[in-house]
Amino acid sequence: MKRRTIAGLVGAMLGAAVAAAPAHAQDVKIGLMAAISGPIAALAPPMAAASKLAVTHVNEQGGILKGGKLEAVLGDSACNPQNATDAATKAVNIDRVLAIVGPACSGAVLATANSVAIPAGVLMITPSGTSPEITKLKDKDLVYRTLPSDDYQGRALARTLKARGITKVAVAYLNNDYGKGLAESFKAEFEANGGTIAGYSGHEEGKASYRSELAALARGGADTLIIFDYGDGTGLSLLRQALENNFFKTFVGADGMKSEGLVKAIGAANLGGFFVSAPVGEASASLDNFNKAYKAAGENIDAVFATTSYDAAFLAALAIEKAGGDKAKLAESLRAVAMAPGEPIMAGEWAKAKKLIAEGKDIDYKGAGGDHEFDAAGDVPGSYAFFKVSGPGYESIADMK
Amino acid sequence: MDLLGLANYAVFMGILIGIYALLALGLNIQWGFTGLFNAGIAGFFAVGAYASAILTSLPASGRLGGYELPLVVGWLAAMAAAAAIAWPIGKICLRFRSDYLAIATIGIAEIIRLVIRTEGWLTGGVRGVTGVPRPFGDLDYMPSQIAYLAIVATLVLVAYLLVERQVKSPWGRMMRAIRDNELAAAAMGKQVEARRLQAFVFGSALMGLAGALFVHFNRSITPEAIDPMIATFLIWIMLILGGSGNNRGAILGAAVIWIIWSVSELLTDRLPTEIAVQAKYARVFIIGLTLQLVLRFRPEGILPERQAGSPPHR
Repeated sequence: MKRRTIAGLVGAMLGAAVAAAPAHAQDVKIGLMAAISGPIAALAPPMAAASKLAVTHVNEQGGILKGGKLEAVLGDSACNPQNATDAATKAVNIDRVLAIVGPACSGAVLATANSVAIPAGVLMITPSGTSPEITKLKDKDLVYRTLPSDDYQGRALARTLKARGITKVAVAYLNNDYGKGLAESFKAEFEANGGTIAGYSGHEEGKASYRSELAALARGGADTLIIFDYGDGTGLSLLRQALENNFFKTFVGADGMKSEGLVKAIGAANLGGFFVSAPVGEASASLDNFNKAYKAAGENIDAVFATTSYDAAFLAALAIEKAGGDKAKLAESLRAVAMAPGEPIMAGEWAKAKKLIAEGKDIDYKGAGGDHEFDAAGDVPGSYAFFKVSGPGYESIADMK
Repeated sequence: MDLLGLANYAVFMGILIGIYALLALGLNIQWGFTGLFNAGIAGFFAVGAYASAILTSLPASGRLGGYELPLVVGWLAAMAAAAAIAWPIGKICLRFRSDYLAIATIGIAEIIRLVIRTEGWLTGGVRGVTGVPRPFGDLDYMPSQIAYLAIVATLVLVAYLLVERQVKSPWGRMMRAIRDNELAAAAMGKQVEARRLQAFVFGSALMGLAGALFVHFNRSITPEAIDPMIATFLIWIMLILGGSGNNRGAILGAAVIWIIWSVSELLTDRLPTEIAVQAKYARVFIIGLTLQLVLRFRPEGILPERQAGSPPHR
């Protein structure tokens, strides 16, 4: 093949791409960076569908700005930085999006923020990146997320236990991102508040017996065992063996342990000393709105990150409306529409929001997945409650701060 | 659509193509000239990326690093670290022939990936390393990208010239002799094992440099970036398509494959939204199809190997 032929081919492809990308003057585009291929491919279609539902709501209820349509450009971030930055560069430069919803995985969020969104001044809201590193980005106030950092639950749990008078604990965590991340943030906060960690160890999944690990943890002398694991998996064996051998009196788990299968397997009568922390669905009217619409669109309402994906896209649209399409004002507008004070707006209430914005009134979006009161770093606090076992399920006994 | 945006996108593609070209050049030394089947490119890429990130990043609690050394030190260290990891691996594994070496290197890349994921004190674990500086990163979007492209392009050019010089020298002929007929080369008194080790270490160092360039561009690195699909197999496709044994072919292959990979998404985006999600897989398919077509109709690649000492025979 001659070099000229190759150059011709490359040129033709670029040309085709240019020709295929028509420009709409009044319409507004946002980029959805879903992880369509790659390790979390199964999660991507419901997330993309939820974001698109937000776009549909906007267009059905009067459109964006002055009669424009909101368009979603779907990119494949593939859960890795190479593809995510590539997809975002295309969205920002070729499609001229004003805001990016995504990417899905934390590593992709970091790379895209650093090499595309922040330098290009594009607003970015991730619905599923939970790494604490995202908090630390020097982001010119452009990077937000609609779900709490992994760090938050561990720290909130540590403070709750301290407040309940527990000062000495042992920690058993599953040795993966989830278990280890929680354990680390818990340990840091618990020790900072003067608590004692009497035992701290990670365990591998799927072993038949954890008695030796439990015995080693119990030797530290704590009565309370913190289990960062899954209640449908290893966490169940661990809890059962600890109860059988009377290693500890009180057990505390995080959201992964809040399983009804676990209560069924062990029996509520034996779980008087078992507590879990878990996120609580709040602003239930907004969540109901979303669930109804999402179900009507033929999707499963239990899909992970569906609510946060919807909220991220809806917030992006609200911010664009508020800023009048001015890219430079997006971050400031996002804070204005998402945070108190203001007239509350529920999921799906685009027409109402548009009207209030047009009248110059302040609004406060109460999302399907949370209130979205952003802190200085663009993180949301998340709302967690402390649960005890009650009957076949769980009952909330206290809110966690 | 405007030309400025298109130019910006082209510059971004240029940077990634440059990084992949370095990886392909490194692989070309190993496979193209010496016949070593390295299926663990991602591992050396990762070692380089993390070495440079740890040495040059801002201080952070909970992991090694934050030495804030100059970039050049980081880049040299990336090459040195990748070479230092490659040396013992080569020492042990290069006694294996072709497919066995491939299996061993896949395993090693996987070990490196798991070590990076779990040894949080060294690499930040699953959270990765952030706060890595980018040269000219304080400039505006476009100038900053152009400056980075200039750096990458310069390094690719230097690497290309050095490798080309080395390959045209008697060393290059000797490597090809070892590749084509190991016994004959040994009978001529060539130290086959030592030479293969040289090629392995040299190629791995270039892969390490590519890793360093990648991490400084994104100012961060997490284990997600060292997925074998995007950091090993894609490079093999680039080299095979471009023409293994030809350095220009390696660079061309990197450019062609990345452009197909990236631009094809723009085309699938124009499809109706109902099938947009499915259509994303079309580009993976296109890459596979391209590889099949090249292997069927032009197994020597777009730019085949040129035999030194004789005019091109095609």
